[in-house]
Amino acid sequence: MSLATSPLDHAADEHAAEEHGPFAWVATVDHKRIGILYLFTSLFFFAIGGIEALVIRLQLARPNNTLVSPDTFNQLFTMHGTTMIFLVVMPTLVGFGNYVVPLMIGARDMAFPRLNAMSYWLLPFGGFLLHFSVMAGGAPAGGWFSYTPLTETPFSSTPGTDYWVLALLVLGIGSVATAINFIATILTLRAPGMTMGRLPLFVWMTFVTSILVVLALPVLNASIVMLLVDRQLDAHFFLSTGGGNAVLWQHFFWTFGHPEVYILALPAFGMISEVIPVFSRKPIFGHAFVAASTVAIAILSFGVWAHHMFAVGLGRTADVFFVVASMLIAVPTGVKIFNWIATMWGGSIRFTTSMLFATAFLIEFVIGGLSGITLAAAPIDWQVTDTYYIVAHFHYVAFGGTAFGVLAGLYYWFPKMSGRLLSERLGRWNFWLMVLGFNLTFFVQHFLGILGMPRRVFTYPDLPWWGTLNLVSTLGAGLMGLASLLLVANVLYSMRRGKLAGDNPWDAWTLEWATTSPPPHDNFSEVPPVRGRRPLWDLAHATGSTPPAQAASKPPRVLDKGAVAVWCFIASEAGFFLILIIAYVFFNLAGSEPVGPSSSNVLDVKKTAAFTACLFASSGTLWLSERSLHRDRTGPAAVWLVLTIALGAVFMVGQGSEYIGLYQRGVGVATNLFATTFFTLTGFHGLHVTAGLFVLAIALGLALSRDFRSRRFALLRAVGLYWHFVDVVWLVVFSIVYLKAGR
Amino acid sequence: MTTWSLLLTCWAFDPLAIAVCVAAPIAYFAHRAGRSGARPVPLALALLVFTLALASPIGRLADGYLFSAHMLQHLLLVLVVPPLALMGVAPAMGPVATRRIRRVLFRPIVAWGLGVGAMWLWHEPLLCDAASRSPLVHRIQEVSLLAMGTAFWWPILAPHGASRLPPLGGVVYLFTACVACTLLGILLTFSPVQVCSVFAHPVDELGVMPLVRDGWGLTADDDRQIGGLLMWVPACLVYGVGILGVVGRIFREPADDGALTTEAAP
Repeated sequence: MSLATSPLDHAADEHAAEEHGPFAWVATVDHKRIGILYLFTSLFFFAIGGIEALVIRLQLARPNNTLVSPDTFNQLFTMHGTTMIFLVVMPTLVGFGNYVVPLMIGARDMAFPRLNAMSYWLLPFGGFLLHFSVMAGGAPAGGWFSYTPLTETPFSSTPGTDYWVLALLVLGIGSVATAINFIATILTLRAPGMTMGRLPLFVWMTFVTSILVVLALPVLNASIVMLLVDRQLDAHFFLSTGGGNAVLWQHFFWTFGHPEVYILALPAFGMISEVIPVFSRKPIFGHAFVAASTVAIAILSFGVWAHHMFAVGLGRTADVFFVVASMLIAVPTGVKIFNWIATMWGGSIRFTTSMLFATAFLIEFVIGGLSGITLAAAPIDWQVTDTYYIVAHFHYVAFGGTAFGVLAGLYYWFPKMSGRLLSERLGRWNFWLMVLGFNLTFFVQHFLGILGMPRRVFTYPDLPWWGTLNLVSTLGAGLMGLASLLLVANVLYSMRRGKLAGDNPWDAWTLEWATTSPPPHDNFSEVPPVRGRRPLWDLAHATGSTPPAQAASKPPRVLDKGAVAVWCFIASEAGFFLILIIAYVFFNLAGSEPVGPSSSNVLDVKKTAAFTACLFASSGTLWLSERSLHRDRTGPAAVWLVLTIALGAVFMVGQGSEYIGLYQRGVGVATNLFATTFFTLTGFHGLHVTAGLFVLAIALGLALSRDFRSRRFALLRAVGLYWHFVDVVWLVVFSIVYLKAGR
Repeated sequence: MTTWSLLLTCWAFDPLAIAVCVAAPIAYFAHRAGRSGARPVPLALALLVFTLALASPIGRLADGYLFSAHMLQHLLLVLVVPPLALMGVAPAMGPVATRRIRRVLFRPIVAWGLGVGAMWLWHEPLLCDAASRSPLVHRIQEVSLLAMGTAFWWPILAPHGASRLPPLGGVVYLFTACVACTLLGILLTFSPVQVCSVFAHPVDELGVMPLVRDGWGLTADDDRQIGGLLMWVPACLVYGVGILGVVGRIFREPADDGALTTEAAP
């Protein structure tokens, strides 16, 4: 990368060879470099998504415009939305988290540096897959939420949607891996004295966001897998011609989609919560309330997805409940806004560019929040859904909220990352152009929406005011483009010529400012003692009598990072299977049985029960293996392990023979909904068993090569947890699919 | 019958409710002499909600008339009365009693199973119908709901830190319970058939159904949906409040700001 000569590289000397080799940036596992890679990658995709947005705005600049064809327009807004959400905002937030979180908690790196590198490299891979669709016959054109049946093969025959699915799968896996990494890092690598209650708010909110990612992304993964099965294997999950249900897709998608909104917003809230106190010279007002309201938002986010579906016709009763639940979200969000304002109140505010963006965030986000409350009322939603009112609303949240928060964070943390300050003069131009352009672009869209202009339609008739308002919007978009160019120029210029920052240019209080800018390879030569929420303030105002931090508190319970990661992974996988199981129950048990093959007339319960017994027995043998190893008897441990693998393999053979039997009787994935749901559910379970067998084989290899001492015990325990989990899933699948059939 | 007369007249003479409402204050004031440390406000609220759930029109309508009323009663007995009562009583419990309870029954996994089981078990069609038909089974249902609810909330609200789950564990405990409830709620809301068939065609001894169906415009289908949604949305909100309480503890840890320096001063 061209960064090789920037001050970013003047970190530690002892790692010089490793850091300056030809593949230094490609092979890096350093959280700081990976963070910067994330940021530059998202900047690249921001340019692409931004150009798409500008073309959209140019097309809409005047009525009956013919700059782009309708189909191109559909591809543009689909790619713009998908790019901005999955390739720009999420990676940006992850990038900042990657760089800053370990520094803020006094750690040397993330809990799993190599996993971290893998998560990053999945990002360009996913982005490549998504954009490859353009060359493969056409980009996806079904909107970022890919509503079925529009995105099913009969209505979207280009492979665009398939690439969309694959890209999102890849990106989803990367996001979950990062989230697990964050959770393990924050739970297990905190410096002494850094209790959960003292975590900086950005770290806290990254933690909560990561939990949301672990729980919400699998829902998306499961549903796009079903979409892919529909498209590639001619199944009918979401296609009503074969008995499927298109609304089910909406339920699944928004179960993911609404938490996703907070995945995009919460880390930005965290950045604001760091920036505002520092530049107001006051500790944050009501730390516990800001932190706890984040949790409240996270919980509520899982219970309100149906407010995206008021127009579907869920029924009056359901609407009422979701209206109330959605409006409840305004409470914790409002608590936060008031806390930020109260932090500024009476402080000696320094309006640096960072603080300017933070202040603009407060204003724009309140506007977005208020329009959100109006949309939570079902009757208003019926009027303005799928109009530009919605477009205005979510841009005020995603750009006025998240992007402004991110810019505040960029101006705040750039000196730490590069060692140089961003130019304040360019910064001010950047800020005012951005604010002006943003409000011009999106505020008028509220009116357009109320006037009835539908979103996602490539042009519009020359109705009163429509042309004028759209032109204003397009001019605003141009200003935003200019502001973005200024931002890039500022970053490139300041990286080389900016004012030197020193360790702590803002006189801030959190641990990342205790080390050099940029930090050395291992982050800290010595982590300062942590005795409160503002360690550097405590350090500067230390009285002579303060004892060393570790003397006073009892040593905290240390969680094992491997165990934390496996449990998070299991939670994530449980979410994935839950969605597949719900789909099975929905199509097979909730209503009348499907016509044709069904669980009661094609499945051999007794035979499967025998193979099931093998799988459950393998859990027992694995436990025995763990016990032997715990007693340091490697021989028996290996024997039990072999038996475990054998029993697992028998189960797979059983499943294989069952599949062959079904195929011979003419039951394939596409036969009917029972077959579709049956093969999808049991197939993915089989895939997990197979993966488990591979990992067990690796563990066995280690055992046989006598490299199986106490350090490896944690490995076997982690694998064991996963294996037991796979068995528990089968217990549920077996009782729902097979035993229900026997009744 | 009008709504007003329903609210005013449909109160049941419930010996259990009366006995508890008489016994609890007596016990409270008797113990007051020994400065037990019980908190009167949550206790009084628990008694109030308990009475509402059993003896008020909610309790009457839950008796085979309205599925939604049944669900409301069910949720009050599992999710509202036990935590309030525990909040009131727990500080008064001695360490010996606490330890014994913990040993006998209240392991988190068991408690979770009981709490979630309380939701699922009594909505098994057979049991649900039996409870609506036979007063004896109904009484068993009420008592078991209270007991299972108490077991569920114990690891969260136990008086001493040692018998409580640590904060993160508590969050997982409550969140997974919320997920389990949500699933049941979704099942009840969207399943086309009434889980408890009694409520599809109520035997109208009170003469209240004309009011419900025509006056309130509540069809059997609406009623079923409201029941499911109650289990889905408000039930989860209760768990959510619990989670917030548990998270709040993270920030109230004694090792918080400043406390450490004063505590360690020689």
